[in-house]
Amino acid sequence: MSSFEILQIFAGCVGSFGFGLLFNIRGKKLIAITLGGLFAWMVFLLLGYIINSEPIRYFIVATLVGIFSEIMARVLKTPTITFSMPCLVPLVPGSSLYYTMAYAFDSDFNKFLSKAIYTLQLAAALAIGTLLVTAVARSIKNYKKQKVR
Amino acid sequence: MNKVLHYAMNIGEQMLLCGADVHRVEECISRICYAFDADRIDVFIITSSMVATIYCKDGSTYTQTRRITNVDTDIEKLHLLNDLSRKICSEHLSFKEIDKEMELIQKRKKYNLFTEFVAYAIIACSFTLFFGGTVIESIVSFFVGIFCRFVALIAEKSNMSRLFSKFFCSFMSTVLVFTAIKIGIIKVADSVVIGNIMVLVPGIGITNALKDLLSGDSIAGVLRTVEAILYGLAIATGYFVVVFLFGGTFV
Repeated sequence: MSSFEILQIFAGCVGSFGFGLLFNIRGKKLIAITLGGLFAWMVFLLLGYIINSEPIRYFIVATLVGIFSEIMARVLKTPTITFSMPCLVPLVPGSSLYYTMAYAFDSDFNKFLSKAIYTLQLAAALAIGTLLVTAVARSIKNYKKQKVR
Repeated sequence: MNKVLHYAMNIGEQMLLCGADVHRVEECISRICYAFDADRIDVFIITSSMVATIYCKDGSTYTQTRRITNVDTDIEKLHLLNDLSRKICSEHLSFKEIDKEMELIQKRKKYNLFTEFVAYAIIACSFTLFFGGTVIESIVSFFVGIFCRFVALIAEKSNMSRLFSKFFCSFMSTVLVFTAIKIGIIKVADSVVIGNIMVLVPGIGITNALKDLLSGDSIAGVLRTVEAILYGLAIATGYFVVVFLFGGTFV
């Protein structure tokens, strides 16, 4: 791992912390978020050694963060969204969104289209990953409820 | 029963206002109403409005609607409201108790303005580093972040529309970045601007929008997508107007 990548991991984790502050989260939850942001980007970079495709790596990390959030939500007794949103902040495709707009204003339509589709791919990978975990967790919960009855 | 619906709607409205997803709010409202012995409850919610009809066991029906504006993400509040709704269902709180709890939630400790300034600054600073900026660039970014929150504060105080306030924030902070370039502190704008855009950017909005879309709340999803795209455009316009004025190059 290069020194830039290590810097990136810590910068991403501080970013998650900042968003935690913005969303008015405090105490233990804030610490969990910071750690989550740290691991999210670290896993993403480590996966880079095995898998080349960025959207697939995004998907895997989103799933892992989803599982992490479900567990932490149970432990700290709070909605899952508390963790899933700020932890994924380092993965939010901010820069590719920026370049999409840049190409649009530059009227470079080929680059604009490819960048736009790429941004959409990343966002979709994130959404599907988190959604998958939510769906599975919900089914497990419902299944358990039925058993109790 | 009408009063039950009123309280359920109040809680649902507050949840939507602090950025809950549609599915959760629908579930919460119907859970409360069923706990108070409703025969049937139909809730339909999109991000900007909510409609609920409650059918009582004695045959009467009540309908209420709410208009939702000014969504502001506040997860701690969402957490408290969620707890309250569970408590209402399990312990059958009286209306007076619910009032008391709601007041406590409204009055609870929030981070003060200073912390928000710091949050903007460290987000901007860390993402400048994240996207490959130098140390000096990130320091500039730190101050631009503070400035950006200041501009956002002005926008809030003067009741600007959300779209225009995004444009205004992006415009003013980019002016500052380009001034820094003119003075000669930094050479390129890219990473500083991206770092600051991360605070404004609707990245979470887009992810949430897709989540709504994929989980079947198509109308809410489409609304959120359009909203996110418009915000993105407003931010981009703010930036490129400045680039145009300063005669820089794109990309």
